[in-house]
Amino acid sequence: MAGDHLTAPDPDDDAAEVVRGYLAAVAAALIGPQPWRADVLAELRDGLDDAITDHADGGMQPAAAARAAVAEFGDPYRVAAGFAGEAAARVARRVAVTLLATGPLVAVSWLAAFAASGAPMWQGRLSGVWVLMPVIGLVLAVAVPAALLAVVATGRAERWLSSGSRLASRAAALAAGLCAGGDVLMLVVFSLWLVTTTSGVLWPVAVWAMVVSGLRLVLASRAARHCAAVGAQAA
Amino acid sequence: MKAEVLKGHLDGLLLASLEAGPRHGYAVIEALRSGSGGEFDLPTGTVYPALRRLERTGLLRSAWTTVGGRKRRTYELTAAGVRALAEERSSWQRFSTAMSSMLAGAPWPATT
Repeated sequence: MAGDHLTAPDPDDDAAEVVRGYLAAVAAALIGPQPWRADVLAELRDGLDDAITDHADGGMQPAAAARAAVAEFGDPYRVAAGFAGEAAARVARRVAVTLLATGPLVAVSWLAAFAASGAPMWQGRLSGVWVLMPVIGLVLAVAVPAALLAVVATGRAERWLSSGSRLASRAAALAAGLCAGGDVLMLVVFSLWLVTTTSGVLWPVAVWAMVVSGLRLVLASRAARHCAAVGAQAA
Repeated sequence: MKAEVLKGHLDGLLLASLEAGPRHGYAVIEALRSGSGGEFDLPTGTVYPALRRLERTGLLRSAWTTVGGRKRRTYELTAAGVRALAEERSSWQRFSTAMSSMLAGAPWPATT
């Protein structure tokens, strides 16, 4: 439109642009789950609106009030960094709770697969690939307490911990990494059993266990890396 | 006053700012600023994350409400938050009494 460039810029548009630019800078530096990030940005947006109103009530024009408000909120990267510990705690807690909640499903799936494939789980002693099974016990002995620690360290006990989010991130990353390792071991042991056994195998149950464990392997590996990355930013 | 100086007392200050009733994040910052005569001008990157941490640890609860057509997240104390505030107050009273007696300029006990 020919006359648009002659129209004076709307001060409200300028103010909105200042706020948009500031929140975009915060969003670019903010880590954590997407719904949580959106919630944080909505809250900051509301706070900025309050600050703009305060400055406008003091006699400033909208754009100047918006610039004063973002200046008052401070460097967007520092604001985002302030949330890093909280993001790490939330990610660690979610990962730990998910591992604890889904672990029994994976365990039951494997027990059902063993029972349905004639696997010699225990006959006085372990033999063949089954000698690796005690490693699973070791994995559980560390992973379960680590996941519980992550849950506790991000709950009320965090008040008494100096760096609860960092501790929780490490514990959750350890638990997730161990679960992924346990899944690899189970898949290897069970696959070797399947190709060598002459027993009858109830394939739907066996495939179900392998799919469940394989899925958990992928998700736990990603969760371990994510916990470690987010926890490092909170350090 | 810098945020670092208040480290260790931030939770108590935030809980106290919500004792009178629910507030949203910016109102908490303003309440701390005005309630301290401008001494406690805490940065956004400190207050908002701390409010969320206190919510996660069960001392606050929050809700999104619509006020005047605007959606805003307001925080309020839980029963555990009220108890934690009482503990913070009691702890501060002991600390402040001890510090006051040390810094008041009264004669110190003689060394042996």
